[in-house]
Amino acid sequence: MKALQIEKYGDIIDSLAFNEIAKPTVLATDVLIEVKAAAINPIDKSIILGNLKGMLPIPLPSTVAYDVSGIVVETGKEVSNFEIGDLVYARVPQEQMGTIAEYVAVTNSAVSKKPGNISFEEAASIPLAGLTALQSLEHAGIKENDKVLIHAGSGGVGSFAIQYAKAKGAFVYTTTSTDNVQWVKELGADRVIDYKKEDYKTIVADADIVFDTLGKEYTSDAFTVIKTGGQVVSVAGPLDEESAKMFGMSDYKLPEELATLSKAKEASYSFIFMHPSGANLGEIKSMIEDEKIKPIIDKVYAFSDSIEAFTHLASGRAKGKIVVKIN
Amino acid sequence: MEELIEKIKGSIQLSLEAEKYLISISKEKIVLKGSTLIRQGQTVNKVFFVTSGCLRSYCIDKNGKEHTLLFAIKNWWISDYIAIYSKEQASLTVECLSESHIIEFNAEVLDGMLTRFPELEPFQRKNHERHIVSLQKRILNQLQLTAAERYDWFLEQYGDIERYAPNYHIASYLGITQESLSRIRVNNAKK
Repeated sequence: MKALQIEKYGDIIDSLAFNEIAKPTVLATDVLIEVKAAAINPIDKSIILGNLKGMLPIPLPSTVAYDVSGIVVETGKEVSNFEIGDLVYARVPQEQMGTIAEYVAVTNSAVSKKPGNISFEEAASIPLAGLTALQSLEHAGIKENDKVLIHAGSGGVGSFAIQYAKAKGAFVYTTTSTDNVQWVKELGADRVIDYKKEDYKTIVADADIVFDTLGKEYTSDAFTVIKTGGQVVSVAGPLDEESAKMFGMSDYKLPEELATLSKAKEASYSFIFMHPSGANLGEIKSMIEDEKIKPIIDKVYAFSDSIEAFTHLASGRAKGKIVVKIN
Repeated sequence: MEELIEKIKGSIQLSLEAEKYLISISKEKIVLKGSTLIRQGQTVNKVFFVTSGCLRSYCIDKNGKEHTLLFAIKNWWISDYIAIYSKEQASLTVECLSESHIIEFNAEVLDGMLTRFPELEPFQRKNHERHIVSLQKRILNQLQLTAAERYDWFLEQYGDIERYAPNYHIASYLGITQESLSRIRVNNAKK
């Protein structure tokens, strides 16, 4: 089958190539998906550049990307929750990475039926960003009337998080640049802060939850706007001690500045590692079918143009998700 | 099964022999919400009579989006009749929207029963007539009625279906967005 693979770490155009490879092996708990569409995410770029080779070592060459939608064409012998012909979507686990290909084998617990009211391309755009937002906000225990600050509202994760938080009845602040203010407002955010013109730290106060998708100073500044006893959840800041343990760093300590800020506000700081989950995707399916959440797509590329899709991703100018139509 | 027998007896004289035969070729089933009875692309030889609950037939277009053809509630028949009569692969999927009680028949065996018991023919013909009328109305409505009028007709046809069918299925049946459906409902509430 045809697949887009990373052959070496480095510049996108030099590192990626289309290769003819064997169809994946289907384990007892796997479903084999005939890929209709795949989506790409900033993590794919980081992997290609080699920025994550310490944390997520992969054998080279490896097929790229994690998000997929398609049709089940084979089921492992222990699979009882899917049948051949089911239309599905998933964020595949790390060890099964490689959705820009004609087929991908995925453990059944990571897979869900796809929402029926959206296309394959739209469905592929959801999993990684959707799971990241859902798991982060659920970790923070989001509930009705919570004041929530979501950074980078026009990003893949941010745009999903705004809609998810609104569906949960929260009051949503979000930051974005001037060009994106209008469409981010249309996602339902209550107060869109144009970071080029306004300082969010003077607007947001006593937030119940800050969802940090940017890292750097945004992580520490979260403690300026959080309420006493609030929750800062981050997918871009430093690891917390618990997540560091998962990586075998048992003597890791949260950077002192964050530890002090967190203590002063009695606010918790958590780093969220998105984990693949068919069950969470099932919840998202219902929310999409109820039109509480809409997929936001920047551009759909043909399979043969998928390297170009990565250069577009690298430009950082996408508004919404970048999707590759495979079949 | 009694419901179907009663329904038949309501329109024709059913001999004891025919009744016994009908029972012998039927399979009563309870099907769970979410289960698929017919799958697009497969061969089809079954028809279903619904005694309670709700089923839906729909097609999936090449982009993976669903389009609902019809709902079947109490006393409706459902299958993919193109697949059965033209011996083609199913162009529809039939799924269960709530726990439903159904009676399953093999389409050829059911057809054969009419040769064996011609007394049943008027009943079968009536079923076909109703089905044709319903489909033709559906097509004409789609061509000439406004979305709000189509929704009225839909409610007339299916009564309390909103208990079973999520909004997006109803919207996809009517060929409108869920937003338009909400607008129609709001306007109806104001009337």
